Parts: sequence; C-alpha cells; structure tokens
Amino acid sequence: MPKSLFIRFSMILPGMLMLLLPHLATAETWYVKKSSTKLQAEASARSKVLVRLKQGTPVKVKKKSRKFFQVSAGGKTGWIFRFKLSKKAPAQKQGEGDVLGTLGGNQRIAARESASGSSIRGLSPISEQHARKKGATSESIQAVKDMEDYKVRPEALDRFLEEGKLGEYSQ
Amino acid sequence: MHKNNLKIFGVSFFCLWVLGLLLWVVPSYSFNLDRFLKDVEKSTQPQPKPRQEELDITIEEPKAPPPEAQQNTGNDGLIGLGQSLGIFDKKTSKILKQSVNTLQALQPIAYKEEKAIGGRLAVEVFSRFGGAYDDPKLLRYINLVGQAVADVSTRPDIDYHFAILNTASPNAFATPGGYVFVSIGLLRMIENEAQLAGVLAHEVAHISQKHALQTLGRSRSLQGISALTLTVMDKNPGLFDKLIDEVSNVLFTKGLDKNLEFEADRYGREFAYRMGYYPGGLQNFIRKLGKSREGGNSIFMSTHPSTGERYNRLKKTWSRYKKASLYPVLGKRFFSVFKRPGKS
Repeated sequence: MPKSLFIRFSMILPGMLMLLLPHLATAETWYVKKSSTKLQAEASARSKVLVRLKQGTPVKVKKKSRKFFQVSAGGKTGWIFRFKLSKKAPAQKQGEGDVLGTLGGNQRIAARESASGSSIRGLSPISEQHARKKGATSESIQAVKDMEDYKVRPEALDRFLEEGKLGEYSQ
Repeated sequence: MHKNNLKIFGVSFFCLWVLGLLLWVVPSYSFNLDRFLKDVEKSTQPQPKPRQEELDITIEEPKAPPPEAQQNTGNDGLIGLGQSLGIFDKKTSKILKQSVNTLQALQPIAYKEEKAIGGRLAVEVFSRFGGAYDDPKLLRYINLVGQAVADVSTRPDIDYHFAILNTASPNAFATPGGYVFVSIGLLRMIENEAQLAGVLAHEVAHISQKHALQTLGRSRSLQGISALTLTVMDKNPGLFDKLIDEVSNVLFTKGLDKNLEFEADRYGREFAYRMGYYPGGLQNFIRKLGKSREGGNSIFMSTHPSTGERYNRLKKTWSRYKKASLYPVLGKRFFSVFKRPGKS
C-alpha cells in the first residue's frame, strides 16, 4: 500500500469510529408500567421468570418482537410482554393529598399522567360522611367497600389469561 | 502534509460525517407503523394537539371547552385593573385572562382526591341503579376480564374495582379513581368475552384518560381554588357538594363530551386488542345496542353519542387491526360463566 494511502486511512478510521461509537452505544430505554412485571428467560409466557421488576424500573430494549421485548435490567437480560412497558418515565411519586404546585402547565400535567403507582385503600372518610349526609343507604356504602375489597390474585389472573390464550399467552 | 492529502482528508471526513449522521438519524426514525398511523390520522384531524402522555394509539383531542367555561372568571382583578389603567391593552388583557384561566383549568387533582370524588360517586351509582347484583361467579369473571384490560391500559398503576349493578336496563359507568360498573341488563346483551372486554375497557379508558376530571377541571366551582386537596374539601363541605353534583350531572344526566366518548371507544378497543381479544368486540356490541329495544330508553343511550356515530367512528380506523379475525372472541367461556337460556 502506498504510504500516502496508508496515512489517509489511518486518519479516516479513528474518525469513523468516533462517529459510529455513540450510535452503537444508543439503546432505547423503556420503563416498567406496573410492579411485579415478569422478566422471563425467553419470549414466551411459559418460560422461567428471572426476576419481577418494580414499577418505573428503566430497561434497555435490545430486540423487539410482536409480543415481547428483549431487555436488560439490573444486569439481567430477558423478555417482557411489550404492553407492560412504557416509553415514558414515570414521574416521581406525588405527595399525598397535594397537587403539583400552585401553577399548572403541560409539564406538570405530563407528570400527573404518568405519576407513580398509587394504591389507596378504602372509601375515603369524606366520601362516606358526605354520602351519609345526603341520605345514601348503608347498603350502597357497603357495596362500594365490598367492591374495593374484592381482589384478583395475580396467579388467578395469570391462569385466566393462559386458559383464554390472552395477553402474553396469545398466539 | 501534502496539500492534496489535506483536501482528500477534508472531503473524506465530511463524507464520513454525513454517513455517521445518517446512521444516527435513520434508525431513530425508521418506519414505525404505529407512528405512521398516528401521523396519517393526525393529518386528517381538524385540531391536532399533542397530549403529554404515553401514546401507542392515536389521540383525538377533545374539543376546546365551551365558551362559557372560558369566560368568567374571577381573575379579572389585577388584569382588569391593568387594562383600566392602560397598562395592558384589551388584547393583552384577554390573552392574560385566558392564560390564567387555562392554568387554573390545568390544575391536576391528585389521586387521593380523585378517589374521594370517585368513591362518593360510586355510592351514588349503587343508590341510583339498583344496588349490587349478587352472583359471585359472574363478579369474579367481570373482575378478571376488567383487570386484564386495565393492566394493558395507559394507567395500569392504580387499583381498579369492578361491580355488577342490579338493574335490567343496559348501563355501564366509570367514576374517577378506578370504579367500573356494568349492569346485569347490559351483560344479558353481551354475546362473548371480547365484547365484554371492549365494554369494560371503554370504561377503564374513561378513568385512565381522566375524562370526568377534565370536565371538573373546567368547573366554575373550582374558580379561584389553586389546590383541590382533601383538606380544602373537608373545610368547604359546600364545595364538595357542588363538585359531586356537577360530576353526577355529567355522568348520569348530560353525559361527557361526545369526543371523550369517541376517545374512550378507541382506547377501549385498543386495550382489548392489546390483551389479545378480537378488537371488533366493542363495535359489535355498540351496533347490537343500537338495534335493541332495551337500549333505546336507557340512560346509557341518553348520555352517549348515537350508536351509529360511535360504530362508524370505530369502523373508520378499523383497518389498523390487521388479521383481527384471528383473535379470539371467547364466546364459549362467556356463556360457561354466564349461563343463559338457549346459550351454551
């Protein structure tokens, strides 16, 4: 190889690498929508559960298939049902009983839309007092409490989906 | 270095830079069907306005609040004074007033307050619509289907509660904070699990998209209140009264803005589809409801846009669900739980 050509290539190559490296390093980050989301060994609902991820956990998406995304999180690589992931990062958990400041705005609304998981048990005392004051019957109030107490266990839901070939079990 | 070498180096570096840029940019904007569909639909919509939320499906933006909601105001004080003193001209004052009103309208209501409002309205639903229907097996089934579609909704991180109302009239409701109701009359009209999933997902969509709260956000009762907290509600029983009256009026009498109903239809169909159900379940049920005598006089019909309009809207965007017929409707499972004469 002539010397001049060698010099040219030796200059071009590092430049090329410099330009390509950031691109190669870029991987999409998605977030877990709900706690207890399964990271599984394969792109199959029946495969081994490697770990259950918490809501808001960021995951790096490596590969996408129709139903599952291959992701890495916390040093583990596995597959997650795609609709359990969101492109939006959840906002920080909001203070209870507080709003997001005195002035609104799109950013605040965005934070509200994707606010962190919430689980408030029971009919609020203010709701119950108001209902009683307005003459609602005890049966109606109790019906709401029963409704709130009714829980579907995750295993039961999983079995239900498997039987119906739904969700991650769909074909 | 030779002058020519420098020139070649410069040109080569530029070419590589362009190549690198392309490699960087093109994958980020590679063809994405969802995005393509969004773009196509946005371009056909009269008022495209991006929303700040996770969107895997197209959003049809609700129409602007009615003019009377934008008038009022309670914010005339300093701005009005500024105008009368000549500090602001009329146009500037108007813009400022609108901005202040918009900011107030955008005040977010936190989950705890949302649940307090929704819980109170849930009591109202039981009071007005026959109480709870007693069938533990059917209740379990409704909860399983409802939870399944809620898990793939745009707001899966709150608790959803499902109940059956003991009324023969076909009704379904959602109140803020996660309360979903279907009447036994409506269930009797349903033909399979995919239709049930579509109906429940429509109600879940009202909650996940905070439709009732959007209406409340424009309420005159909230004018001048910067933060609607439980403490504020507790100290102002009159305010809580008004809020409940207003949302009750919307949910049980007037109905939500029809664009919000169309949005809930589209989201509902999408949630059912994400869960693996035949996505045409909701529209088939809507068509059936429109043809039925039972539906005719129900509150469900008076608080929703016409079934024909809803069906046509859904059909317009139906083409995005490729191979829809391959998805299960689960009619057998539905009738094995909800036994009806002549059905098995």
